[in-house]
Amino acid sequence: MNEQEVLMIANLTKSYGNKEILKGVNLSVTRGEIIGYIGPNGAGKSTTIKIILGMEGDYGGEVRLFGENIEQDSIEYKRRIGYVPEIADVYDNLTGYEYLTFIGQLYGLNLDIAANKSQALMELFGVGEAYHARISSYSKGMRQKLLIISSLLHNPDILFLDEPINGLDANSVMIFKEILAQLAAQGKTIFYSSHLMDVVEKISSRIILLHDGKVAADGTFEQLQAASTGGTLEAIFNQLTDFHNYKEIGEQFVAVVQEV
Amino acid sequence: MEDFKILQLLDKSRFLYNKIGIDYGLMRKILQVKLTMDEHRVPTFYNQSAGKKNEDQKYGYIKSLWFYVLISLIFIPFMGFGENYLFQISITYAVLIFMIMTTMISDFSTVLLDVRDKSILSTKPIDPRTVNAAKFMHILIYLTYLTIALTAIPLVVGLFRQGILFFLITIVELILINIFIVVLTALLYIAILRFFDGEKLKDAINYVQIGLSLFLMVGYQVLIRSFELVDFTMAVELHWWSIFLIPMWFAAPYELLLNGDGALFTIIFSMLAITMPIISIWLYIKLIPTFERNLQKLLSTSKSKREKRSHLKEMLLSLICRTSEERAFYRFSSLMMKQERDFKLKVYPSLGFAFIAPFIFIFNSMRIDKIDFSVSMGYINIYFSMLIIPTAVLMLSHSAKYKAAWIYQVFPLTDYTDLKKGSLKAFLLKLYIPLYVVLSIVFYFMYGTRILPDLAVVLFASCLYTIICYIGFGSNVPFTKPNNEIGDAQSWKIFIFMIIAAIMAGIHYFMASKITYGSIIYLVVLAILNFVVWKIAFRGGKK
Repeated sequence: MNEQEVLMIANLTKSYGNKEILKGVNLSVTRGEIIGYIGPNGAGKSTTIKIILGMEGDYGGEVRLFGENIEQDSIEYKRRIGYVPEIADVYDNLTGYEYLTFIGQLYGLNLDIAANKSQALMELFGVGEAYHARISSYSKGMRQKLLIISSLLHNPDILFLDEPINGLDANSVMIFKEILAQLAAQGKTIFYSSHLMDVVEKISSRIILLHDGKVAADGTFEQLQAASTGGTLEAIFNQLTDFHNYKEIGEQFVAVVQEV
Repeated sequence: MEDFKILQLLDKSRFLYNKIGIDYGLMRKILQVKLTMDEHRVPTFYNQSAGKKNEDQKYGYIKSLWFYVLISLIFIPFMGFGENYLFQISITYAVLIFMIMTTMISDFSTVLLDVRDKSILSTKPIDPRTVNAAKFMHILIYLTYLTIALTAIPLVVGLFRQGILFFLITIVELILINIFIVVLTALLYIAILRFFDGEKLKDAINYVQIGLSLFLMVGYQVLIRSFELVDFTMAVELHWWSIFLIPMWFAAPYELLLNGDGALFTIIFSMLAITMPIISIWLYIKLIPTFERNLQKLLSTSKSKREKRSHLKEMLLSLICRTSEERAFYRFSSLMMKQERDFKLKVYPSLGFAFIAPFIFIFNSMRIDKIDFSVSMGYINIYFSMLIIPTAVLMLSHSAKYKAAWIYQVFPLTDYTDLKKGSLKAFLLKLYIPLYVVLSIVFYFMYGTRILPDLAVVLFASCLYTIICYIGFGSNVPFTKPNNEIGDAQSWKIFIFMIIAAIMAGIHYFMASKITYGSIIYLVVLAILNFVVWKIAFRGGKK
């Protein structure tokens, strides 16, 4: 096995009742990679991530994280993971300080360290003034920043990010992209899941496209370009997911709008 | 969508709205949607009885009114008998205004403070005046229901005993009072929002809700006794400072018109009763733009506040909770209990009741015969304070934000025992022990030093009882279950747990009264049991 291999998924299957969501996913990720994890709605992206995080059980195939099967040691490996879910509920009656120190402590940080660290990170992210305010009063962008910070407090080795820049302004997105690049340069692995093709195209060192429960494409952006006729990632995405009739649908939609 | 009867009734006054430039058709449509949405909502009073399944939600509000009809019986002697109007009617209106105002704040604040209105309705081609009229009518419809429930029976009695003039004055005044209350509440919110942020306002509303629930719980006890306390011959005189007593304004017209009392104050007060609601509504219309502007504060970030940490507390905490996870969860649970409004609404009224209950029962037995506090066993009544434990322990595993529990799955936690232990300890130390300590101090002064061992027994019994309740409810991870999952089964369990508390109290009574050093023996047994049961309950192992 490769020393650098961080994550290995072999023949992963998962169904809900009769519905097969994952039909044998295979992939392998090494240190320092930023994986752009894309696919149409319902392709199984979130399900894969949830399985890796141990939030979903009862799957077929094998998932190895840092060389260990996650079923073997189902707790300790979580210490090395950071996670930003797409739709994240938080105990928003707490203040930022209260929530972040709680999270930090459960990852084994001492209260003071967690407090200092989260305050410093909140300030750097431009939301220091909201640190002692209730999360329920946060704007969407502030909330997202809080979630990003909460996923990084314990200095994880692998990050799973699901639409992390949702609600962030352009300047904060710049900061965040820089953070990702720096983290990757230090050998952290980042799993970046998003529907924003242009962002994925720019930040990813490698792109994995999931379609219909299987990996439909896997490679750098250049490799994907070479294998298809499309120029942008969006075009490649359309092509690989077999979607061509957007024009017709758009026309019909407008026609219905104009009926009064 | 259903067409509501009340709206068909409202249709009759359509011309009135059209005259003052309100698009009645649109207002009616908005009202219809709002009333439909309300059918999915349950009033504060229903939240209290944790068991209600929400299948039969239709007319849920109307059904809850029966409770108020019951309360209205208290007004019968005040409205139906006697001619000491200033006193009687002041009392009646004081209670009535209190009831309507608190209900208004606890159940209809959401209507006044609905920020969705702004984003949904203001973006459509509708005159803001129509939107505000709809808002106002929406609340008024409910307050009308409430007022009818609260006054219908006493009013009928009044009609027969006091005559038609009394009846008519009351009807007019009730309408004025309702308008006055809505406007007064709105003005109150305008004032709060002017100086504080939205979170403060939500907290204030939450405390009013808690107060109302507690008032209803205790009021029920007081209600039965109130008839003995009433003294109809009590003379009330008007002073210049009575001008601040709003119920007096509304009592004055009765004196003026029915008793022919033409004193200066009576006339001034009668004038106030009519003019103030009208002035207030004019003021409200003037202030609506400010209100709407300040409403935006509900959406903005609240001010930062910083809490101090004391090192002594930290040291004590590390004695109580051994591992850092347990400490983290102790802190988290304390914060949730302090800050989650849903939790507070469901638990704090019981907390207040748990404090009052022992005294209610002691006073009850005092009325039967004299108590010699130096030998009485009446302190056993302190067990009534344990009523809070099952409710609180049940609520501890539920949360309005239960979805936020995804974090537990992501954490590297071997098992959840530390979390559970931490939250139970937080409940005991932050909610129960303070209650227990205050009660104990009062009881100590009532019954003397001799009951100290017994009080210690109660403390140990409470800890044991807490863990028993916790196991009984299925040892859930704290704050991970939705609130609406609390069903009838749980209500039954609460009932069974109350029997267990009664048994504990019974054993205590037996040991203390029949056996020498019985309390001490019981204390030792409880201490050992506590140790064993807590150990067994948290033996580790998954989940």
